[in-house]
Amino acid sequence: MPEEAIRAEGLVKSFKKTRALRGIDLTVRTGTVLALLGRNGAGKSTAVRILTTLTRPDAGSAIVAGFDVIRSAERVRARIGVTGQGPTVDELLTGRQNLVIIGRMFHLSPQQARLRAGQLLEQFGLADAAGRLARTYSGGMRRRLDLAASMIAAPPVMFLDEPTTGLDPVSRAQMWQAIREMVTQSGTSVLLTSQYLEEAEQLADDVTVINDGLVAASGTPRQLRESVGQANVRVVLRDADSSAAGRLGALLGPAARIDGRVVTLAAPDGLGSLADVVARLHPIAAEVDDVALQRPSLEEAFTILTSARPSEDGARPEHAMAGAR
Amino acid sequence: MSLTLTGSVREARDPLQRLAQALGDVRTTTLRYVLRARSQPDVIIGSVLMPVVFVVLFGYVFGSAIHLPGGHYRTYLMSGLFAQTTLFSSSSVAVAVATDMSEGVIDRFRTLPIARSAVLLGRTIATIIVGLPSLAVMITCALIVGWRPAAGVPNAMAGFALLSLFGFAMSWVGALVGMHARSPQAADGLSMLPAFVLGFVSNVFVPTAGLPAWLRVVAQWNPLSAVVAAARQMFGTPQGGSAHVWTLEHPVVTTLAMGLVLLAVLIPVTVRRYTRRD
Repeated sequence: MPEEAIRAEGLVKSFKKTRALRGIDLTVRTGTVLALLGRNGAGKSTAVRILTTLTRPDAGSAIVAGFDVIRSAERVRARIGVTGQGPTVDELLTGRQNLVIIGRMFHLSPQQARLRAGQLLEQFGLADAAGRLARTYSGGMRRRLDLAASMIAAPPVMFLDEPTTGLDPVSRAQMWQAIREMVTQSGTSVLLTSQYLEEAEQLADDVTVINDGLVAASGTPRQLRESVGQANVRVVLRDADSSAAGRLGALLGPAARIDGRVVTLAAPDGLGSLADVVARLHPIAAEVDDVALQRPSLEEAFTILTSARPSEDGARPEHAMAGAR
Repeated sequence: MSLTLTGSVREARDPLQRLAQALGDVRTTTLRYVLRARSQPDVIIGSVLMPVVFVVLFGYVFGSAIHLPGGHYRTYLMSGLFAQTTLFSSSSVAVAVATDMSEGVIDRFRTLPIARSAVLLGRTIATIIVGLPSLAVMITCALIVGWRPAAGVPNAMAGFALLSLFGFAMSWVGALVGMHARSPQAADGLSMLPAFVLGFVSNVFVPTAGLPAWLRVVAQWNPLSAVVAAARQMFGTPQGGSAHVWTLEHPVVTTLAMGLVLLAVLIPVTVRRYTRRD
C-alpha cells in the first residue's frame, strides 16, 4: 500500500459556463480521513466525480489506490467504494439482496458475497431488517445500507459524499460511529465531503477547504482553526463591578481587553496561558465566575476561508498556506 | 472482522477470463432487474393484463365489424399482436433507463468494476425475461380465441425466437432513447409515439390492401409490417392478401436482418454513450 491513498495534482475542469475546478491539489494519507469542505458549488462534487472515474479532468492528474484515474479507471473502480447523497440503494431489493448484488459486481464469489453481506448487516445493525425491501427502511437505515454496500469488497479507499446530509442527529451519530469503526478496523482511507463542520471535527484527520474551484486551505482541523485567529483566555466576573475589572486588568497587564464583566487576553500558549492566568487570579478569586480557554471554531475558519474571493488570475487567498505539507 | 478481503479483488487479465467475467457481470445485472420486477407485482399484473385487453378490444369490439377475406380475423389478429408487443419493450426500457439516468443510479454503476455493457445488457435481457409471463398469458388467450400454430410447433417456436430477437433490438432502441431523453416523461413520449405509429399504420390489425394508396405505401414499407408478416408465416396464419413489396415477400429474412443490424449498430453506440465521461 502506497503512503498516499489519493493524490491529486492540478485538477482543472470546466463545464459550458462555469470553471468548476481551477487547479486543485489534494492528498489523502493511507489510513486517514480527509474532509473536503466547501460551500455548495465550490467544486467538491466535481473533484469527487473525477477521483471516482466518473468525470475526466481537463488538466491535472490523480492517483487513487495506486492507479491513475484516467488511464486505469477499471483498476481504480475495483479498489474504491463510493457512497453518496443519491439513491444508490435499490429500494425494490431487500437489504441483503442489495449487498449480495453489489458484492457480485465486485466479483466476489456467491458464497463470499453472502458471507460478507451477513457480516455487514450485523455490523450496521440491519440484521433484523435484512429480508425487507429497502423501500421500507428509514433514511438512516438506507445510508447505513449504502455504506455497507460500498464496503462489501473491503475497498482500501472510500468516498463518502455528504454521508449524513438530511439525517436526524441520532442517525447521524450512528453513521459517524459506523464510519469510525470502518477506519479503525479495516484501515480504510476515506475522502469525505460534508456541509457540516462538526462532521469534519468528528471524523477527519485532515481538512481541505475549497472555494471557487481552488484550495483555500488545507491542514489538520486544529491548524485550520488556528490559521484564522488565536486562542483567548476569557475571564468572566461575578458582577459588572468596575473596580473588580480594574484590579483584574492590573493583574493581567495592558494586553487584557475589558468589556463589562468579561475580560479577554490572548493565549499564545493555549493551556499554558490559561494556567498562567489562573495563577494570577488568586488575589481576586472570590470575584471570578468563570475562566476558560476559547479556541476559534472550525466554523469561523470555514466562514473566513470561503468568503475570500480569489482574484481572477487564480492567485490563492492569504490562508492558502495554512498547514501546507 | 473475520474475513479479510483486501487483495481478493479479482482482476481478469487474459481475454477469455475477461469475457467470462463480463458474462458474469451481465448475469448479475440481469438478476438485479429480475429481482426488482419481482417486488413490483402490480407492474407485472398490468403487463399481463394488457394483451388480454388487446385481444378483447380488437378481436371482439373492432373485430366484430372486420371481415377478413379468406381467413379467420382473430387468428390473423393474434399473429399481428404477437409481433406488435415487440414494440412495447422499447418504451418500457426507454423509461427505465431515463429514470436510472435522472436518479443517479447509472453513476453508481459507473463507479463499479463491471463490464461496460453489463448494465444495459442486463436491463434489456431482463425485459425479455420479465415479459415471459405476459407472453404465456397471450399465447393462452390466442389459443382460446382460436389461433393455432398451423405451421407446426417447431416453426411457431422459431417464430417466437425471431420475435424475441426483434424485441431485443427494439429494447436497445429504447435504451438509446432513454440515454438521451432529458427526463423519464420525455422518454415515455419519445418512445410511445413511434411505437403507436408503427403499430397502427401497419398490417397488424387490417390487411394493407384496403388502405388509401399513400398510406398503403407507408404501411407496406413499415418495418413492423415485415415482422408481422414473418410472424404470420412462421405461425401458418393467412397473410390476408399479398403485396409486391420485397420486404413483405421475404419477411423472415428481413426481420432477421433488421434485428441483427439494429443490434450491431445500437449496442456499441448506446454503450459508448453510457461509458462517456464528461
